[in-house]
Amino acid sequence: MNIHIKTALDAIKRSPFQAISAVFVLSLTFFVATIIAVLVYGSNMAIKHFETRPQIIAFLKDNIKDDAILALKSKLESDIRLKQVNYVSKEKALEIYKESTKDNPLLAELVNPSIFPASLEFSVSDLTLAQTVIDEISKEAVVDQVGFTANLGGEKSLGEVIQRLKNAGNYIRVGGLVFVSLLALSSFSVLLVIITMRMATRKNEIEILSLIGATPQFVRSPIVVEAVVYAILGVFIGWGLALTLWLYLTPTIMSYFGQVPFIPRDPLTFFLMFALILGAELLIGLIVAFAGSLVAVKRSLKKAR
Amino acid sequence: MVKFENVSKSFGSVKALSNVSFEVGDGQFIYLTGPSGAGKTTILKMILRQVVPDSGKIYFDGKEVTSLETKDVPLLRQNIGTVFQDFKVLPERTVSENVEVALAVSGVSIDEWERRVAHVLRLVGLTKRHRLFPNQLSGGELQRVSLARALVVNPKLILADEPTGNLDWKTADEIMDLFEKINKEGKTIIMATHHLGIIKDFKHKTIHLEDGNIKT
Repeated sequence: MNIHIKTALDAIKRSPFQAISAVFVLSLTFFVATIIAVLVYGSNMAIKHFETRPQIIAFLKDNIKDDAILALKSKLESDIRLKQVNYVSKEKALEIYKESTKDNPLLAELVNPSIFPASLEFSVSDLTLAQTVIDEISKEAVVDQVGFTANLGGEKSLGEVIQRLKNAGNYIRVGGLVFVSLLALSSFSVLLVIITMRMATRKNEIEILSLIGATPQFVRSPIVVEAVVYAILGVFIGWGLALTLWLYLTPTIMSYFGQVPFIPRDPLTFFLMFALILGAELLIGLIVAFAGSLVAVKRSLKKAR
Repeated sequence: MVKFENVSKSFGSVKALSNVSFEVGDGQFIYLTGPSGAGKTTILKMILRQVVPDSGKIYFDGKEVTSLETKDVPLLRQNIGTVFQDFKVLPERTVSENVEVALAVSGVSIDEWERRVAHVLRLVGLTKRHRLFPNQLSGGELQRVSLARALVVNPKLILADEPTGNLDWKTADEIMDLFEKINKEGKTIIMATHHLGIIKDFKHKTIHLEDGNIKT
């Protein structure tokens, strides 16, 4: 076994409580970081979902001729502010209704296409324009009324719906970043304290190594290896616990959010997302381990020489 | 091998060395003698570049030690075997591992470790104790570990700072026998000691220091 790895593992075995505390605090940091990373992903997906689905529905008056409908559709399609313009006829509306009530066929039997208004659905390229567009479309002769497809709690405009989601997403992002940063800072401090203690207990050894010609790199290698071991263990434990928790909660979350793809629905994307998080956390863990150990070692070596 | 040219050093108001000049040739065995505080250890530390002189120049193997950059100091020390009065062995490593550390520090290939460690342990008589830890060894055995570690990298020069200072006379004689043997194999040795019995029994050139000056 490489002499530096052996020295590092010996040091861990000799002071198991220091090792446990370092791994514990790093695990906690990466557990929270993983949870927050998934929440950020989920909020992004929710916002994207609401932004890309048909956001505005213009219900058309009854007995409107097809020419007039097509004329309005063409007008909307040529409007650069709008996208994904789609015509939903009375029959199509009934189909959608039947699909959404398929668990209760009696409901579908009680209705016929005439009670559903035909409509034109579309999205806006910029949500700030939504209210202006709605006001304009409402004035069209063939349009009966204009509605929003999303309503989360009494918002007066579609912009407010999206804004509410964006605010929630920002709270998760900023709050999560602050929280994870604090935890990362505490991990860094704990690592620094433990490495400094390790250097203090190795003071005589460092002096001897220095006298027999050890380079600074030789002296610090076992310390860096030890910090890297803590970081890798911390990442895998924290990430593994978070993954287990998400797997356990996935059915509940999917049923709660319904059509909103808060977490990936297919297993491949789900595990790919977690693999990406793991990769990023390993990178951050290694940076923290290298930075922490090098800072602590530099000071101790200066004293030893 | 080692040359001091008008070297002076003060620690605050205390003059440790004053205009000291001497030369040690290849394969020589030199004693540095004198009372405590005479400057013996300072000379050894200067050769190892633990201490830098205030003035004068020091040469080791033709290269000036005093002007070495910090990054080159480890290489200098790798070419010098050092034996200390307090042994300076690593307490949490076995006899073999203590010797192996010197090989690792010098970047010797791991394939060579076993052969070289076995050779030096046989030389110092510790073959049967290679798996023991320092707390399981006597003072004499600890000094042998220290000597084995110094020898294993095949250094050009061996510095010994009071290597018999912590040993009884019989063990001290055994250690000196080892130094004699090593010297006969061609190693240059500079030994700081105030052990008069040793100087009498094992005769070699002596540099006597008093208050930082060489006394002839």
